[in-house]
Amino acid sequence: MNHQNHKNHKHSETEHAGPILEVQNLSVTFDGEEVLKDISFSVDEGDVLVILGPNGAGKTVLFRALIGLVPYDGEIKWRPDIKIGYVPQRLPATEALLLTVKEFLQLKSRRVFLKDKEWNIMINHEISSVGLSTEILNEQLKNLSRGQFQRVLIAWAILEHPNILLFDEPTAGIDLAGEGTIYNLLRRLREDRKMTILLISHDLTLIYRDASKVLCISKERLCYGEPQGALTAEKLAELYGESVIYKHQHKLWQ
Amino acid sequence: MAIDNQFLLILTAGISTALAASYLGVFVIVKRMALASDVLSHVALPGMGLAILLNYDPMFGAAIFLIAAAIAVWFIEKITTLPPESIIGTFFVAALAVGVLLVPDEELLESLFGNIFAVGFIDAWIIIVSAAALLIFSTIISRRLTLSIIAPDLAKSIKTRPDLAYLGFLLLFALGITLGIKLIGSLLMGALMILPAVTARNFSWSMKSFFAISAIFGAAMMTIGIFTAKYFAFLPGPSVIITGIVFFAISLLFKRA
Repeated sequence: MNHQNHKNHKHSETEHAGPILEVQNLSVTFDGEEVLKDISFSVDEGDVLVILGPNGAGKTVLFRALIGLVPYDGEIKWRPDIKIGYVPQRLPATEALLLTVKEFLQLKSRRVFLKDKEWNIMINHEISSVGLSTEILNEQLKNLSRGQFQRVLIAWAILEHPNILLFDEPTAGIDLAGEGTIYNLLRRLREDRKMTILLISHDLTLIYRDASKVLCISKERLCYGEPQGALTAEKLAELYGESVIYKHQHKLWQ
Repeated sequence: MAIDNQFLLILTAGISTALAASYLGVFVIVKRMALASDVLSHVALPGMGLAILLNYDPMFGAAIFLIAAAIAVWFIEKITTLPPESIIGTFFVAALAVGVLLVPDEELLESLFGNIFAVGFIDAWIIIVSAAALLIFSTIISRRLTLSIIAPDLAKSIKTRPDLAYLGFLLLFALGITLGIKLIGSLLMGALMILPAVTARNFSWSMKSFFAISAIFGAAMMTIGIFTAKYFAFLPGPSVIITGIVFFAISLLFKRA
């Protein structure tokens, strides 16, 4: 049934003009230390915005500010009808690992009682759409591989069909084969569900191939715009140091 | 003492308290605040002392102090980023000292360790009804609370309030401690919450089974503890807790990886 909905959406794509998210002069300060300074950017419907920067550049903090998890200065304007799906890098509490996949996915339900058919149908649907078999639903989170766990987090995020996905380093700790399939999955979500995607990633191949916009930050905004124009060799050197340029070319060769 | 209606009523009160406590205990363990929750329960004592001095029911005084302490913990945790351990540990151990000074000597032992056999008809019914209410509310906030504990960011990303779920939990916890005060005392009630849950953790294969096994252990520990106390004329509180410790020790042999 969901796929039919998507087809209908295609016709009304142009109805919502204006950006889905507009950020102006966003600054975040922790204990008097500036973690993010004067970040501005905007995201249109259907965009894939990749955020990159060295470790400790404030990328995750930026996501957390967007969702309202940390206090900030400046302006963050979401389009009012927006539903956000958030995929964190990991779960903070190891006690979470006790839950089964199904129980974890049920936590997103607003219902009080445990038996609800509709939710279970939705859960089955989403777990399949992230490429897992429904047998995994009865596994405990602690028995999953890193890649399976990542997919479960994605399934959690896309339950109830959000229109925007915030994705924190989807391939951290995943091998190359897994990396490829995660990106395929993201591409499918964007194409089938018309999702707007904000993605933290270091992967330059991905950026040149899939990103409609790129935002590089290292506390401040260092580049912003379409990857081909914004992400120059000089900017990369400024972000990561000279050595990365070689690596990048190496990767394109593969 | 023979097994009569009075005894059955007391047993029911004990078991329903154990069920509520062991259900809440799962959250205490998942939230990793076992020690903190135990210390928080000490706040009951000065409340009971004051209530006795002013001629009120000590359970009433304990409830007020525990609820105030729960709100205080929530508030302090909200405005600072200190972990709950350090907040509760530093502030509420003092409450035990003050409480011991406040409670008259002849009531002290019972306040600390309770005496389930001295619980009257009305008190027993109050405990049973409150325990049922507590279980219902705990079930209602269960999903929200679990999500808030294991992934507060995800909770906020779907626009729920993890802080409110946590406040709800602390209040339920305060009431849970209050329930057990006359039964096994303020000092041991914290243990009644933690023991079934830590024991169950070693057997459980999901969150659901965690809750269920914890409740079973809670009820079993209370029942065996009460019967042991009755036949050997022990104080029931310590007897219940020691039963729980034995369960826990056995569970270590079955610990799942």
